[in-house]
Amino acid sequence: MASKDSVKIAPGAMVCNECELRGDITIGSMTVIHPRASIIAEAGPIIIGENNLIEEQSVIINRIPKGEQPTSTPVLIIGANNVFEVDCHSEAMKIGDNNILESKSFVGREVELTNGCIVGAGCKLTCPEVVPENTVIFGQQCTRRQQMDKPPPQTLQLDFLTRVLPNYHHLKKPFVKGKQ
Amino acid sequence: MSHILQSDVVRYACTCGSLKPLSRIYFCRHCLKIRCGYCVSHEVDSHYCANCLENLPSAEARLKKQRCASCFDCPSCLHTLSTKASTVVVPSSDEKTVTRKLYYLACGFCRWTSRDIGYPDQTVASGGWPEKENPHASRIYNLLEHFKTLALREKQEREKKKKFIPRRNIYHLSGLSAAMARKRAGLPSIGPSSLKDDVGGPAELIPSAATEEVEQLPEEIFTDTLNLLKVTTLKQRLAQPEFQPQTVDELYPAHKCLLIKRSQRCRSCEHNVSKPEYNPGSIKFKIQLSAHYHVPEIRIVTCEPLRAGEKSEMIIKICNPTQYQSSLQFSPLPSPEEEAEELSKEIEERKQKVDRKDEKTNREDVLLLLPSICRQVSITEDPRPVNVALTGDISLPPVTLVLPPRDDAAEYDDSGDTHNFQDDPKIVVWRKANKAAMKLVITPEEDISEGRDVIVGFVMHYTYINTMATQLLEQREPQKVNLKVKLYITVGKVVGK
Amino acid sequence: MPLYEGIGLGTEKQPVVIDIGTAYTKFGFAGETGPRCIISTEVMCQESGRIKKIFSYSNEEELYSLLVEFIHNLYFRHLLVSPKDRRVVIVESLLCPSVFRDTLAKVLFRHFEVSSVLFVPSHLVALCTLGVSTALVLDVGYQEAVLIPVYEGVPVLHAWQAQPLASQAVESNLRRRLAGPEEGELSPHSRISESTIEDIKVRTCFVTSFERAHKITAGQPDPPPPSVSYQADGSSTVDVPGSARETAYEILFEQDGDEMSVSTMVLDAILKCPVDMRKELAENILLMGGTTMATGFKARLMSELKYLVTTPKYAKHLAIKVFKVHKPPAKENYVAWLGGSIFGGTDVIVTRSLSKEAYLKENRIPDWANLMYNCREDDNKSANL
Repeated sequence: MASKDSVKIAPGAMVCNECELRGDITIGSMTVIHPRASIIAEAGPIIIGENNLIEEQSVIINRIPKGEQPTSTPVLIIGANNVFEVDCHSEAMKIGDNNILESKSFVGREVELTNGCIVGAGCKLTCPEVVPENTVIFGQQCTRRQQMDKPPPQTLQLDFLTRVLPNYHHLKKPFVKGKQ
Repeated sequence: MSHILQSDVVRYACTCGSLKPLSRIYFCRHCLKIRCGYCVSHEVDSHYCANCLENLPSAEARLKKQRCASCFDCPSCLHTLSTKASTVVVPSSDEKTVTRKLYYLACGFCRWTSRDIGYPDQTVASGGWPEKENPHASRIYNLLEHFKTLALREKQEREKKKKFIPRRNIYHLSGLSAAMARKRAGLPSIGPSSLKDDVGGPAELIPSAATEEVEQLPEEIFTDTLNLLKVTTLKQRLAQPEFQPQTVDELYPAHKCLLIKRSQRCRSCEHNVSKPEYNPGSIKFKIQLSAHYHVPEIRIVTCEPLRAGEKSEMIIKICNPTQYQSSLQFSPLPSPEEEAEELSKEIEERKQKVDRKDEKTNREDVLLLLPSICRQVSITEDPRPVNVALTGDISLPPVTLVLPPRDDAAEYDDSGDTHNFQDDPKIVVWRKANKAAMKLVITPEEDISEGRDVIVGFVMHYTYINTMATQLLEQREPQKVNLKVKLYITVGKVVGK
Repeated sequence: MPLYEGIGLGTEKQPVVIDIGTAYTKFGFAGETGPRCIISTEVMCQESGRIKKIFSYSNEEELYSLLVEFIHNLYFRHLLVSPKDRRVVIVESLLCPSVFRDTLAKVLFRHFEVSSVLFVPSHLVALCTLGVSTALVLDVGYQEAVLIPVYEGVPVLHAWQAQPLASQAVESNLRRRLAGPEEGELSPHSRISESTIEDIKVRTCFVTSFERAHKITAGQPDPPPPSVSYQADGSSTVDVPGSARETAYEILFEQDGDEMSVSTMVLDAILKCPVDMRKELAENILLMGGTTMATGFKARLMSELKYLVTTPKYAKHLAIKVFKVHKPPAKENYVAWLGGSIFGGTDVIVTRSLSKEAYLKENRIPDWANLMYNCREDDNKSANL
């Protein structure tokens, strides 16, 4: 367990008070984190970029790999414009831009999402690989196809949430440095 | 128990020999027999699209190849496509810009869109999508025409009652079976001589020409890496049998297949046992002779742990669903010999019915001339014996259990109206309105191993008031009949000593 | 009801054409240009909830209930018409087991109450799609490759060839190659599901060229094509080595102990035919069945044939130099169905079918293998009376 709980929230980000943030976490501007979402920086820091949408019950973990002792501190980096839908679970160490993790999907530690990937509802990715750009993974068998272009960013939804969320939830203050 | 999650604990034996839970069987009020999905005749009632819920008459459905005109299936994952709108700004002639709505098809599941295969967006929300045609269609129609003429000629020549001299044995293609068909049709068999007089078929058809050229293996296959994402799966190919695209850029959306509403008809009396309403949105039935409304229902209330060779008590609840009082009795299952006898009786009964029908149709010669008018003689499969191995013994109390009629109001009445039945409290443990709970003793087999299911069976005799007065015209009064049904209960698993 | 249905379409109900294959069943309506659906020949078992293949039956009763379930699905899930009082065309192999045929007829007449059934042999009706009357028909399906030469509309039965060289053999060969020689039963690849193997076969494998195949057998293979990593699901990948992609289909062309392969089947059949038929048959080859759709299959077969006629085994007896194949107006896997559709779309269906009444009287179906139906007229007369 990382003893120093330092959460850096950039101005403009909406982080609800009821979400669970543990460890060294950096959250980019315009990112919205719903209540009951968990971001746990167990093995090393987590850096989340801009315009991400992290919904209820979703879990992002920088997990300590089983058995081996890490030689250097692993850093989990998430790019911009990603959507983590309700109850998704991500341990991926590197997620690019414009990805969507649909409800109840699971992405393992050894998987790297590039840009524009969509992990369909209930899909479980555990096999070590780099998912090529604009891949859509869907269905029981985790069937794949390649999309022509990446999914559009959820700008409207983000705008709406940044307006509405403060009316109904306590937000974490966008501190530059410090403790909750 | 005909509960949603435990549907096959109590199974009723249908007249045809299949075992089904009460909720899955029918009771034909005209034959007074239990029927099930296996032994009724299914008929297509109406076609509808599951997506847009449009109702199509069967003639129109046939014209559209049983597919919906406006809904599409995703060629990639076979889910339903939805129409999405996007607005674009189009510069118009007089320096102004006009926003227009453009529509495209998109799959919400695998995110396939009609833009992926280069379909231009449409200006109208429905229809207008390019339709793909079988490239061989005209050739196939030619062939069909050709063979139709041949068949017609064969027919005409036979009708002329001339000695039929086959010209190059017109319908030669059926080969071996042709010889048999000729025999049935009363034609002389084709001698080897006919092969020689070669006149040729109708001239208009150009027979296919074989070539030496075949599709060669592309050289790149040995050097280029294969991108699996570009190759279609077998499932995707077979979903479009006429095109079977090899690469994903040839995956075109397919019209959505319709669904049907089915009516079910008793095979022996030809009355409907189930007929849905036509409206696809409605979940109601015009006729629904579910056994649930006519045959007493049995559920297990409690059962002591089952041990091999030891007695344990089971309490069952019996419910009378009819509007009339019913009295019930229980007896052990018939021995295999008795059952075989019963089966043969049933078959005999059916035969007589068919014979009667035969007589009827034979008398009326008109009907014989127009066979399409008279109903086809219904032939049904013979009932099969029930195929279940019993693994336990059940002792049945020699009582007659009388159950009052169903009274919906009594459900809410707590006064405890017992109807003053003189029940043996050792057997009937509880009673309320049209329901009663009864105690039975079960003994699993001596040599049954742990973890195996204990299955017991018995026959339930019950009185049923037949309100179908039409059966015997002189008897207008409802008639009391004695019916019986075989029941098989999977009580539970054997636990250790 | 029939009156309403008939408006503008003739009063006849469209007959249904069904081609039940070991792996896939093709079905649709007579007179149409393609089958409505191609589905796996299997049903979901009600009791165990498992998928069961129709052809895995152990006895007649089981087959009967499997077929009832399967055909019920066919009519009410896919065709969406009532089977009752409707005509049926069954496209079957001449080598179809009698028990299957009889049970199928029983199911159709007794359970579904169809008005008539017309059994047509697949190799013969396939010629309907070409408009010719002579061809060497090679059907490579799932279980076996069956070859029957047809001359002037008559099958040359004594020249028929059948070998278990089809999809199933290819798939088990591919499975062996994926597992690798050293790993054996314990390797993770031996647990790959059948449908995955089938998908790998369809999407990655091909029939290699004749020259390369020879180099492989000689032990000096050219560099193999690139490997493919196939994602079976989210948690496992199957590495398909280039050599497996290239050699999965080789089992069809490698000559086994008896020197039999798909290509020798063709030549052996021609050899068994009279001399005056040979040239015509060699120049009218029709390939059908799903396996012949594999990339490079036809090219390979042609070069194999051209090579084999020059080998001493055949050169002595065969003077044929040219082989020609037909291009049917359909995908190979439903050629036989299309033949049945064209055949059943004509009036023949009225004159040639076995009607319900006739079936009920005799309680059996005519079968060429049964002498009762296959004797000369004169021999039969006394027997019939």
